[in-house]
Amino acid sequence: MFLSACRSFLIFALLFPLALSVFPLEAYAANPEEATLAIERAEDIVFSCYQVVLEAESAGGDVSVLLARLNDAAVLLAQARVSYGIGDFDGAARSADLCYETGVEVRLEARGLRRLAMEEATQRFRWMMIGSIVGVTIIVCASLVGWLMFKRYYYRRILEMKPEVVSSGS
Amino acid sequence: MDLEEYRTIFAVTSLLLTLIVAAPIISMLIPIPTQTERFSELWILGPNRMAENYPFNVRVGEEYQVFVGVGNHVGSSSYYMVYVKFRNQTQPLPNLSNSTPSSLPPLYEFQFFITDGGTWEAPLTFTFLEVSGLEYSCLVHRLMINDAVFSMDSPSKWDPENEGFYYQLFFELWLYDVTSRSFQFHNRFVGIWLNVTGS
Repeated sequence: MFLSACRSFLIFALLFPLALSVFPLEAYAANPEEATLAIERAEDIVFSCYQVVLEAESAGGDVSVLLARLNDAAVLLAQARVSYGIGDFDGAARSADLCYETGVEVRLEARGLRRLAMEEATQRFRWMMIGSIVGVTIIVCASLVGWLMFKRYYYRRILEMKPEVVSSGS
Repeated sequence: MDLEEYRTIFAVTSLLLTLIVAAPIISMLIPIPTQTERFSELWILGPNRMAENYPFNVRVGEEYQVFVGVGNHVGSSSYYMVYVKFRNQTQPLPNLSNSTPSSLPPLYEFQFFITDGGTWEAPLTFTFLEVSGLEYSCLVHRLMINDAVFSMDSPSKWDPENEGFYYQLFFELWLYDVTSRSFQFHNRFVGIWLNVTGS
């Protein structure tokens, strides 16, 4: 009897922390004000993420992956707002908090992408500028040299021509 | 051909070549305005994702499905919101001539991002959970949209001309405006008419 109780206690003691890690006890008992605050916080992060994504996109970065992740946050935000609308403040706060967490990760990645895209754009602009300057210089110089050579050839050809007396035909 | 004419040909050719070589940098410094029209699309499809078999005669307790879709052609990635609203025949629709949305409160909403040239589509299921009347007038008490239950008291009178109690489920498209940091009605809406026929 005693051994059986000890074994049960041991099994419980071993499995309880495991169960806690799999099913975390998250207590959400939000009131309307808390839910509103959570939604506003989630909205702010999604809006700021979108701003950063737009800047990365205008700098030439590929934002499709980021937008896909940001969509997850947007779905959660919409869910939070719908839950709030039907009076499910716990659900609203939970969805808004999840949205915020996703948003924080996306914002970090978006900032990284924006920095990378801006660096690449600067680099691209620099190389394009150098290429254009070199190209234009070569063309201008080649044109001048070509023109001078052509002019020399032209005069030589004129000078080598033998004048002919043309009869008036009368 | 005399030397003056040759010189003109040389100058024009050099100028053209210079412009061709410098074109990428010129286009970066002087942005060329594009003439393409910027717009968004909004559509509803039936349960088979085709423009057919839309729910019309709806019974209480039965589940119906439509698909709502949006296409982005505004020139950059955009942040959209679709409001799902429900009205009877007398309640207001959006006014497209002065770009104002319907004054009815939204029941459900979608939020999503679309890259330029991309599309988005999502299913929407709805069920009339509780309806009373159905003789001379009808009153919708509870409507479920995508597992969210909305309580209301939306009346509809018998329409003798079309013989039914008519309601409209409609979708408004809103676009996030970075300058004002808020969603603005994007002057697009679509809807389906529903004739509530009882259980």
